Order: sequence, then structure tokens, then C-alpha cells
Amino acid sequence: MEEFSLVISVAYQFGTNAAFLLLCALGLIVILGMMNIINLAHGELMMMGAYTASLSYQAGLPFPLCVAVSFLVVGFVGAVFERLVVRRFYGRELSALVVTWGISLLLSQGTLMVFGPFLPSIPIPGGSLDVGAYSLSVYWLILIAVSIAVVVALAWLYNRTTFGLHARATMQDAAMARALGVNTGRIYMLTFSLGAGLAGFSGALLAPTASIMPFMGQQFVAPAFITVVVGGAANVIAGAVGSSVLLSLVRTPVGFYLGAFLGLVALLLAALIIIRLMPNGVSAALQRWSDRRAQSH
Amino acid sequence: MKYLALLTGPEDIGQSRLFWAVFVLLVVNFLAGPLWMSEFEASNVSYYLLNLPMALGLCLLWGYCGVLSFGQVAYFGIAGYLYGIIAGNMRGDPWGPLLGEVGGLAACAVVSAIFGYFMFYARVQRWIVPILTLVLALLLETFLGQTAGYQWRVGSVQLGGYNGMTGIPWFQLGDLTFFGYSFYYYVVLVVLVSYLGCRALVNSHHGKVMLAMREDPLRTELLGYDIRARQLAVFVIAGVLAGLSGLLYVQWGNYITPSQLGLVQAALPVIWVAVGGRSKLLAVAISAYALNWITYSLSSAGNQYALVIIGGLLVAVMLFFPDGIVVTLARNMNRQALARLFRRG
Repeated sequence: MEEFSLVISVAYQFGTNAAFLLLCALGLIVILGMMNIINLAHGELMMMGAYTASLSYQAGLPFPLCVAVSFLVVGFVGAVFERLVVRRFYGRELSALVVTWGISLLLSQGTLMVFGPFLPSIPIPGGSLDVGAYSLSVYWLILIAVSIAVVVALAWLYNRTTFGLHARATMQDAAMARALGVNTGRIYMLTFSLGAGLAGFSGALLAPTASIMPFMGQQFVAPAFITVVVGGAANVIAGAVGSSVLLSLVRTPVGFYLGAFLGLVALLLAALIIIRLMPNGVSAALQRWSDRRAQSH
Repeated sequence: MKYLALLTGPEDIGQSRLFWAVFVLLVVNFLAGPLWMSEFEASNVSYYLLNLPMALGLCLLWGYCGVLSFGQVAYFGIAGYLYGIIAGNMRGDPWGPLLGEVGGLAACAVVSAIFGYFMFYARVQRWIVPILTLVLALLLETFLGQTAGYQWRVGSVQLGGYNGMTGIPWFQLGDLTFFGYSFYYYVVLVVLVSYLGCRALVNSHHGKVMLAMREDPLRTELLGYDIRARQLAVFVIAGVLAGLSGLLYVQWGNYITPSQLGLVQAALPVIWVAVGGRSKLLAVAISAYALNWITYSLSSAGNQYALVIIGGLLVAVMLFFPDGIVVTLARNMNRQALARLFRRG
């Protein structure tokens, strides 16, 4: 019984770490995979998601509905940014990084000026569950389930819908997709909006676990960036899942024995070593491996 | 003569005699500053100047080499903190501060070399370098932020957590201590030497290879240049220059806080370089000076809009002056001068 609860506890730690990294990085990696640009305003979009959730929670909406509202609101904001600004920077990835950083400064400071230094936080839904000597948070178990569901939904979106087909075609060869009648401009806008919406969604989901402040996005960006760098851009889902699983294998033991900060440092060191071995990330390595397997059959 | 050609070469704004006359006048103006500036004003001007080496380093890296870094403040902080630790522990020793400078810059070189090795020798994609360097700066900020308390001290110096390290000694060479006007002259000298050094570097053979790497890394490599080693070299130079700014900063204010390594501070060098125009050193020097002056005046007036103005400026410049304001102005001036010549002919 004692061993059993220890195993459950370790699995829980591992699951929360992987779910956290996945939620932080999904929005970024969706945009990166399509347009090869990193959205530096990602942390601020997550902040906007948390703000939307907090405001609608105060207005009396039930929490799951607040999360859905955040997804839609931040997705819309993302579409507006794409139309007004980001669109002009396709093909100039470094300039795109810089301009999205400018947007992030505007958003965080603008939020501080409009809403003040903090909003009321959202109480963590669900209680705790006791397994042996360990206590697990029900909300984090829900988050693990939600992040698996989001990955499944994305896999469905990319592999089973017309949008997904067009999106994958645009990722592989934008000029050829355009020649075959795919409206790539629209695909870019929808993808950016989807990435932003996912950031808002994650921000809303993580809002109960954090204090809601204009600069709260900063705590999410470092883990999100590391996950994306390790994941690479070759395949959105393989990259996101592979990298968050791999990194939480590193983070869980280090964080458990040496503390949360050194867990984060271990992530950075692991990322440096992983990119030295797999310069295009886990997703490209997985892709190569599956291609080779397909050839040998 | 050969060395003079390095300075007047084509890879920066200003080759004419008129330009150099104006440049010399400007330097004389700075040197004569203490005649009409109070010590307080001289100290402010030192502050606007001391960020220039970091800006020039980023300009070399981004504008000339095509490698962007968002984490230059990490080296700024490493050098500043290490100077504080070494010089603070050797208080009373007339050569302690100099040893602190050497130690701080060496640490910047070592950290940037290790970090750069993993990135450039892996031949990572372009967007990875700015992201990972930013993560390095953010992690250092987090680490230094939690070093409050008595157990976090090195020798007799406390790291100080979010309140930062205070009481960092002035710069000193033997019996000569630099503060007030003498610190001002020291900053002017360091900045002038860094600028001329960078200018000579971009006009040298290595500078030409840097430009080639920016334009087409694959072709440069096929011409027989080891682009990994050369990118790494520029990355280390930029790191050391950022460290130089960090040293000047702690010697100016005698303190440093972890927020100097934070996300907002990390954005500033990128903004100075983008607003001036990343492809020309002098443009970056001008915009870094001007923007430091503006933000310092805004923030000392207690203006909460400083960040919004800075962020808005960055977005506006990227949208409407993708080559930078100073570079665009300089180009238009050149074009007008050419047009006048043609009309005469």
C-alpha cells in the first residue's frame, strides 16, 4: 500500500509537470509550426485569458464557461493582431519576434493602467484527494485530463478536418498550397487566432493556481519557451507532447529533491543538451524515426 | 594608414571629412562637458552613455551578423554582480576594483562561450538563439531574486534578493578613485574606445565575413569559413560588451537589483538597436543615447507611461521604419546630397 501511494504520487507529480508545460506551450507551438515565428506576447495573452476568466467569474459565470469565454476573447484579440501587425512580418522571423515583444510590453503595461495592480483571484475548484500519506489536488487531476483532451482535439482538427488538411499543406509548402487554391492568408489568420485562443484558454485554466496580475505572464514564458525549443516546429502535436513528457522526466526528480527553481534550471540545461543532439527538436527526430520505419516496411 | 582605413571604411555611417570633423567636435564637446555641466548633470550624461557598449554589442550581433539575442542583460548582470562580489570583498585594496572588472568580463566571456557553443555548434534555427538567451536572463533574475537573507552572501558581500546588492565600490586604479567628473571622463573614454573598436571590427576582414553570414550562411560556409566559430566569436564579443555596460552601471550607481536582468530591461537593448537601425553602429549609438535620456527623464518624473511609450515606439518603428529611424534619415540625407550633386553636374 505504501509503495502504491508513492507510485501514485510520483505519477501525479510527473503528470502535473507535463500538463503545466503542455498548457503553457501549446499556443506557441501551434503558431510556430505554421509560420515559424515565436509569439513573444504569449505570456501576455495568457494573462489576458486569466483576466477575462476573473472578470467573467466575478460577473457570476460558472468557471468552465469562463474558460470558454477566455478562449474566444483572446482568440479574437489574436486575429486582430494578426491582421494589423503580425501579417507584415511573415518571412522575417527575427523582426516578428521583436514586434511581438513590443506588443507584449504594451499589453502588460496597458493592463496595469486600465485594471490596476491585481484582480480578485479565482478559488481553486475541487478539493483534494488523499492517497496514503499523499494528498492530490482534484483540480490538477482535471487539468491533466483537460490537457490530454486538448491534444486529442488538436489531433482531430489537424488530421480530420478540411482546415487541418489545408493547414498541413500550408505548413509543408505555402506556395504550392496557394497554387492549389488554399487561401493561405486565411489559414495564417485562423492559426494565429487558434494559438492565441489556446494561450487564453491555458491562462484561464491556470488562473486559479496563480495571482492575477498584469505581469503574471512572465512566470509562464520561460517554461513555455524551453518546451517549444525542445519540441521544434516539424510537427505540432508530436513536438508539444514529446517535449513536455521529456522535460517533465527531467523536472520532476530535480524539482522534487532540489526545489522548484533548480527544476527550472535543469529544464534549461536539458534544453541545451537536447538541441545539441537534436537541433530541430524532438518533433523532427520523431518524424525522421517514423519515416525510416515507414520506409523499411 | 591601414588602421585609419579600418575606421573610415564603408560599413558604418559617415566616411567624409565633414563627418569626421563633426565627430571630433562632438568628442571635444563631451570632453569639455564638465566646464558647463554640474557634477549631477555629468553623472546623468554618464548614465545615458554607459549603456552604449551593450547596444553596440547587440548591433554587431543582430545587425551585422544576423544573430539576435534577447538576453544581453544577463551578461550585464553577471558582470555587475561579480564586480560587486570581488571588489566588495577586496575593499581597501587599491587594485580590487580592477580585479573585479577583469573577473566580471571573464565570467561574461566564459558564460557566453559555453552558451553559444551549444547553440551555434548545433546549428539551431535562427529563432532559438533569442529565445534561449532570454530564458537565461529570466532564470538569473529568478535566482538572484530569491537570494535575500544572511545565508546568501559571498565572503562579506550579501546578494540581497530583490532589494539587490548595495554599497558596491567605485572604480579605482591604485590611488585614483573614479567618481563625479573623473567617472564621467572614464565612461566617455570607455564608450569611445568601444565604438571605434566595433567600427574597426566591422570594416576588417572578419567584418566582411560577418556581413556574408548575415546575407547567406550557407554560401559563406561553402566559401570555406567556419561560420559556427565566427558566430560564436561575435556572440562572445557582444556578451563582453554587455558586461562592460554592467560594470559601468554598478560603478555609477553603486548598486544593482535583479530587475536589471528582467523581461522589461531585456527589451531595452533590442529597442535601442531597432529604433536607431540595426545595420549601422553609429545609428544605434545615437538612438541608445537619446532613448536612455528620454526614459531616464520620463521615469524620474514618475511617469507610468514610460513602458507603454517604449513598447508603442518599438511596434511603430518595426511597422513604419523597419530599417530604423536614424538609418532611414541618414539614407535620405545622402540621397538629397547626391541629387544636389547631379543637378550641378
